[in-house]
Amino acid sequence: MSEIKSQQKDDKITVLNPACSSTMAERVPLAPRTFTNLEGKTIYLVDIGWGGPKAGYDVFEVMQEWFARTIPSVKTVLVKKKGSYTEDDPELWEKIKADGDACIIGLSC
Amino acid sequence: MSRHAKILEQIGIPTAPCTGENVIEYLEGWDRRYNSGIALRYTVFPLPVAGVSRAVHEVYLKGNDPVTGKPIMQEIIDALTKPTTSDEQITGLPEESSEPRLLAPDTEENLQELFKAKDWTDYLPVVLPTEVRVAAMLKGTSHKPEEVVKTMTWPGGGRQLTVEKAAVCAVMAGARPQYLPVILALATMAPFGNSTTSMANMLIVNGPIRKEIGMNSGTGAMSPYNEPNAVIGRAFTLLSKTAGNLHAGLTNFSSLGNNLQYNNCCFAENEEGLPEGWNPLSVQFGYTKEDSVITVALGWTYISCVGEVETEYPPQMLISDYMKSLSAVGSAALLCADPLVAGMLHDHEGFTSKEMLSQWLSKNTKVPVQTFWGNGLTTSFYSNLGIQGLEPYATWKKLPPDSLIEPFTNPKAINAVVVGGQTNTIWFITDFRIGKGVLIDAWR
Repeated sequence: MSEIKSQQKDDKITVLNPACSSTMAERVPLAPRTFTNLEGKTIYLVDIGWGGPKAGYDVFEVMQEWFARTIPSVKTVLVKKKGSYTEDDPELWEKIKADGDACIIGLSC
Repeated sequence: MSRHAKILEQIGIPTAPCTGENVIEYLEGWDRRYNSGIALRYTVFPLPVAGVSRAVHEVYLKGNDPVTGKPIMQEIIDALTKPTTSDEQITGLPEESSEPRLLAPDTEENLQELFKAKDWTDYLPVVLPTEVRVAAMLKGTSHKPEEVVKTMTWPGGGRQLTVEKAAVCAVMAGARPQYLPVILALATMAPFGNSTTSMANMLIVNGPIRKEIGMNSGTGAMSPYNEPNAVIGRAFTLLSKTAGNLHAGLTNFSSLGNNLQYNNCCFAENEEGLPEGWNPLSVQFGYTKEDSVITVALGWTYISCVGEVETEYPPQMLISDYMKSLSAVGSAALLCADPLVAGMLHDHEGFTSKEMLSQWLSKNTKVPVQTFWGNGLTTSFYSNLGIQGLEPYATWKKLPPDSLIEPFTNPKAINAVVVGGQTNTIWFITDFRIGKGVLIDAWR
């Protein structure tokens, strides 16, 4: 501290910046929205497993009932992603690509 | 979750990710800028989602997104059907903005305020990192200032933590140059725990450097009675906050926080107090006794035995009893035992090695299965594995709620460290998980 104590209170000093520069992520576009409503579409509801087997899954079950009541032509497929909520599931993504039109995924908190 | 949603969008599937309101600012700002690069259309749910009844979930779905105020189901439909905007179609790399090496000259008082305003401190005064002080600190290592110690990928941004940046934090924390190799080794493990579950770290030093720099492994080793213990632990906090770019509510989600993060429970193992046959922690993980090593443990809590060991009830029994209060995530437990306790376990109870004690605790600590599944973190990690048939979780899923299980399945994740000044037969049992430590000598 002696280096600073020897200075006057209003003297200006120069210090190093503790912060590190961040690298920005390459930007990726959203998939084009090719339909304007969900009539007749197949929607995957994917529970990633956060909060255990009942948290997101239960929300999606309620959502499934909502679709059945409100837009009955929508086909919903409720699935659990494999592994923990951070784990990738390429097989599921391929299945959704082959059979689905859209996806609702969650929940993360 | 943004990783999963991004993959789906990239394969052409319109996706509506649903999240809690606690992380939305991070997801739409930081995560998009530095991790995903994609303008995902989030719908936000009120909290809590886990641990509440279906009736609550029904109310949520009938209600509004607490951030946008829009009806949740309509917002989800819009996310899947509304045409993408120009902002959502942007590709390529955005312009970089780099941090200058030096800050604009200012008075000491203003700089102290600036450091607090930028969230670079623990809100205790820091030693300002002038060029003279940082240059003096760098004499504590042979490594070049520009050498990258670690690229910090969490919480995004790929920030390069250099030897000089670590020296800056060492100065700020009040360290001496001879502590720098320890702090550089520690920097390879930054940042500290950051989870809604409010985790913390424990820093344990082994080997000759303990004595070289005067660390405390005896009386009050886990309290503020020793400079290197105090400032090395503090340096980890400052490294984590600055290089980690952690800000409460934005990139730090720790709901209650954890007071251990002021110092990260930094101490040295009392190797001189180890009973015969009990190896130092670093040696257990493959180093020699001549190596200086820092081990960074990750956990949440510790429980003290409070009183001295009683003749009628051997210490391993009470340790096992108190372990029942731990989550058993990763099968992890860490015993911090005074040398007197270690001696009793060795001499009177026949535990001739730490490993033997670990085996005993693994086999003899039993909890009702409903206690194990009653913890949201264990459930999040292991429930799906059980559903997919992985043992023992598949069997545990089927057991009656009061069936006793042995949740600490992996004795290797149950560790012991000897610390303390032999003023009483005291021990702490903790849920800290340990991996192989970092060689400090590589940073001299």
